[in-house]
Amino acid sequence: MMRIRHLLAASVIAAGGSALEAQTSAGLDSATMNAIAPIIQRARASNLPLDLLYTRARQGQVQRLPASRIEVAVRNYAERLETAQAALAPNPTTPELKAGVDALQTGVPRETLSEMRRAAKEGSLAVPLGILTTLVARGVSVEKASVQVVALLQQGASPAHFIALDQRVQADVLAGRRPDESLDLRLKGIFPNLPQSVNAGDAATLQAGGTKRPR
Amino acid sequence: MRDDRDELLDRIVGELKVLPAVPADATARVLARVDAARRGQAPAAEADDDDVIFFPTATDEMQTVPAASRPPSGTPVDAGAGRGGWRRRFVVSIPVAIGYALAATVAGFLIRGAMPRSGGDATVAKEQQTQTDARAVPVTAVSGLTPREYQEAPVAVQFVLDAQRAKRVALVGDFNAWAADSMPLVRDSATGVWSTVVNVTPGRHVYAFVVDGEVWTLDPRAPKTKDADYGTEQSVLIVGLR
Repeated sequence: MMRIRHLLAASVIAAGGSALEAQTSAGLDSATMNAIAPIIQRARASNLPLDLLYTRARQGQVQRLPASRIEVAVRNYAERLETAQAALAPNPTTPELKAGVDALQTGVPRETLSEMRRAAKEGSLAVPLGILTTLVARGVSVEKASVQVVALLQQGASPAHFIALDQRVQADVLAGRRPDESLDLRLKGIFPNLPQSVNAGDAATLQAGGTKRPR
Repeated sequence: MRDDRDELLDRIVGELKVLPAVPADATARVLARVDAARRGQAPAAEADDDDVIFFPTATDEMQTVPAASRPPSGTPVDAGAGRGGWRRRFVVSIPVAIGYALAATVAGFLIRGAMPRSGGDATVAKEQQTQTDARAVPVTAVSGLTPREYQEAPVAVQFVLDAQRAKRVALVGDFNAWAADSMPLVRDSATGVWSTVVNVTPGRHVYAFVVDGEVWTLDPRAPKTKDADYGTEQSVLIVGLR
């Protein structure tokens, strides 16, 4: 069995894949490899990071799910990955792409990803996107969470600000507060401390703008 | 005729007996001091060393300090010094005092640079201070990393699972490509708790434990999420306190 996997890894390299790709695909069985081979081929042509797709496949395999189900999951992932790559251009990092895919999967629109890229300037979006995904998963509406995360980035919020926000919202939700209400409340404690903090009136306007969509 | 209520009362009386003894005239003395304070007079002569009985849970230091010699809040250290232990505890030599002052000044500048700009409640301000500390350090300038590279540098994260009967436990997640054989946890022989420390890139991650090579186990300490495509649950981890 191990020999077959090594042969498959060698064939990946021979087919034009990188050593990293061979490494991440090494644990996949032949049935899974065959099922996802066309998806991998298209992804390679689109210059997508293949290690993320192999990782997605291994996630299914380690849970002993059938190859057909893994194929569907990898195909969906590849589509979201392509969307994230375009939305987070130019030069998104692998952690950003992975976070972007997760955000798209929870229903965050691709326009939000692009807006976040513009707002973040040189900073990484891995944590802000992860927190956006988590906020939506906690029950905050996608629109409100998107607007506020973009506003935080525009005012220079660091990854630590996002994590602090998420921790407070989590505590509030566990205590019984509505997620949207908690986000509004906790932003009042974050916005005034940001590097490019606007005055109180503008901050209130930003926070009240939860129903607007990002540009 | 005794009943449950009598027993309860007996227990309450027993508990009350162990409280600190209070002199019989304590109430009268308190009222006299309040009355004197209202008239703007100095405390009466009976406000002597033993009036610290009104601080039964105070520290030894408070109990040895006569009330009349205790400086009010905000008073410089030497200003309120009178008789008793208070003055002895806080007397310092002039060179040492100058040293303390210089150290405090330097520390003040350092802390001020790390403080949040304004606003927020006390809890928020404290957390913001930590965050601002991280932002204030120009690590990127020293390390040569771009801001994005710095923010995505891996962070050591400890994973813990209490699985007393497990023979082996492995960590799988999107940070190790779900490779069940790459990150085994180590069992602490004293507690039976399994743990490992892994470098993880900042962001949101999903993971699980695999017990004895086959049992998919979520982390009871972490929130969980359901994967829409696979239909299975995983634990969620947010990394990135930088």
